[in-house]
Amino acid sequence: MSPLLEVHKLSRFFGGLRAVNDLSFTVSSGEIFGIIGPNGAGKSTAVNLVSGVTKPTSGKVRFQGTDVTGQPPHKLVQYGLARTFQSTTVFGNCTVEENCRRGSYLARYPGFFHSFFSTSKAGEMRQASDSRVAEVLEWLDLHRVRNVRAADLPYGAQKTLGMAISLMAWPKLLMLDEPVAGLSAAEADNVRDTIRKIRAEGISVVVIDHNMRFMAGLCDRILVLHHGQELAHGLPQDVLSDPNVIEAYLGRRYVKA
Amino acid sequence: MNSTAETVPVISKVRLGRSTSSALIGGGIAIVAALAIMPYLLDERFFYHIAILVCFAAIGASSLHLIIRTGHVSLCHAAFIGVGAYVSANVVMKLGFPFVGGLVAGTLAAAGLGLMIGPVILRLTGKYFVLITFLFGEILRMVFVDWQSITGGANGLSGIPAPAPVFAEPKYFYALALLAATACVAVCGRILSSETGRFVNAIRESEQLTECVGVPVIRTKVMIFVIACGFAGFAGALIAHYARYISPPNFGPLESLNLVIMNVIGGMQTLVGPLLGAIFLVLVPEFLRGYVQLQHIMFGVILILVMAFLPAGVVGVKDWVARRMIPHDRRGEQ
Repeated sequence: MSPLLEVHKLSRFFGGLRAVNDLSFTVSSGEIFGIIGPNGAGKSTAVNLVSGVTKPTSGKVRFQGTDVTGQPPHKLVQYGLARTFQSTTVFGNCTVEENCRRGSYLARYPGFFHSFFSTSKAGEMRQASDSRVAEVLEWLDLHRVRNVRAADLPYGAQKTLGMAISLMAWPKLLMLDEPVAGLSAAEADNVRDTIRKIRAEGISVVVIDHNMRFMAGLCDRILVLHHGQELAHGLPQDVLSDPNVIEAYLGRRYVKA
Repeated sequence: MNSTAETVPVISKVRLGRSTSSALIGGGIAIVAALAIMPYLLDERFFYHIAILVCFAAIGASSLHLIIRTGHVSLCHAAFIGVGAYVSANVVMKLGFPFVGGLVAGTLAAAGLGLMIGPVILRLTGKYFVLITFLFGEILRMVFVDWQSITGGANGLSGIPAPAPVFAEPKYFYALALLAATACVAVCGRILSSETGRFVNAIRESEQLTECVGVPVIRTKVMIFVIACGFAGFAGALIAHYARYISPPNFGPLESLNLVIMNVIGGMQTLVGPLLGAIFLVLVPEFLRGYVQLQHIMFGVILILVMAFLPAGVVGVKDWVARRMIPHDRRGEQ
């Protein structure tokens, strides 16, 4: 079986800076794949390249066997590849429920004409999407706060809402950019449970973070990025005991002889 | 997550139920009816004229409001009005089409021009979009001045016929203008209240996030821009056949800026804003006409006061009053 996502020799240069250089990895169905690395290692650029936010300088991205390199984000969502952002994860000014409705464009929007005249097609799509909104809110434990303004939610709940918005498109692969940055340990555990719940529904997840403890307990496989290049790649325990990784993270003197 | 539910105050003011929207529609009908009758009660040529100007301003400001709702402030909207005006005048005067032909041609020409430049300029955001639309407006104004065979140059075009002989009288043209303005505002309102409006709001609040949930952001913005420019052209055609004379300054940067100010003064969050703004910006200078020398100063002071005390526009009066009615210690629950 071919993998869900194949990234082949992906590179992105900003002037002379090689933000991501010759990066290759694959993600299979139902897998939680982690990318870690120190600040500035190119993790976010890597997600941006795969999700179409940034165009790669060279290399290929294949999703379910289709070449999707350089396609804009809204096209990639149609293929089933969704993502969240590190900072702007929610529409702060509207309710949790409205956030999810805004996330369900593909299922909800019948086109300008149908929406303008509120045809029966528009009504059916709206109903189907509303029940899916309710379903996802229940699933991610956000249904109690569905009428709360997103900006008034605690930060951890906002991160969960960010995932809920992305899940409205029913993706096959969800990429999370630093889902636990700025969260307390308890909140991070919550997010970890949520990610596991998402995977249990058969959705593959790519997680980007630099929190080793969080990632080790969550991911099936981990890739370590350093200066835009792959430093190590494999099972969490192998990767985290790799002397090269320890050196990159903590400095040379922490490497056991 | 459980603790979230209890600790967070539930804010319910975002809700807009069926009853609110039918109340809005009912209120809208009442306002239109009142506006329709008012000048007839006063029955004076001058009041019809002012009311017609309000209608034109309402079409311009509410169509610009569509663009503003996508998060872009266009400074060339009056130039699109000009395109509609010149095209319609030429189609009627040179090609001999009836007024309806000119109206359609003017609308399509402005919309077509919007379709040509939209996909390029709508990639810019914030101040860069403002700057490029300002420049584009200036380019169009230059065209109006220099393309003498079509536009009559700086002297403008005169002798544009009225839509029909009966409409040469403001009393009857007002009915036409009110009908046009009502239709335009209703269409804008319906777009914003439909699912399209939902995603337009999403685009304004975060283009990046909206793009990543699958909304074709550029295409949606271009669509809204083209519709808004079409309405501008539509207003232009009406203006040309009402004023019977058009010249480049009618469609210059100052007029574009006025349309923006109508949105700012009225409030940029709802469609009611630009309507209030249109009324405000047409009426206030008329009331100040008695004080010839001070007119512009007083107008400026009023604008500054409104903007300083009502940052959400005249629409915000409601919240401003509410803030003063509710005791301090209860504000958290608001």
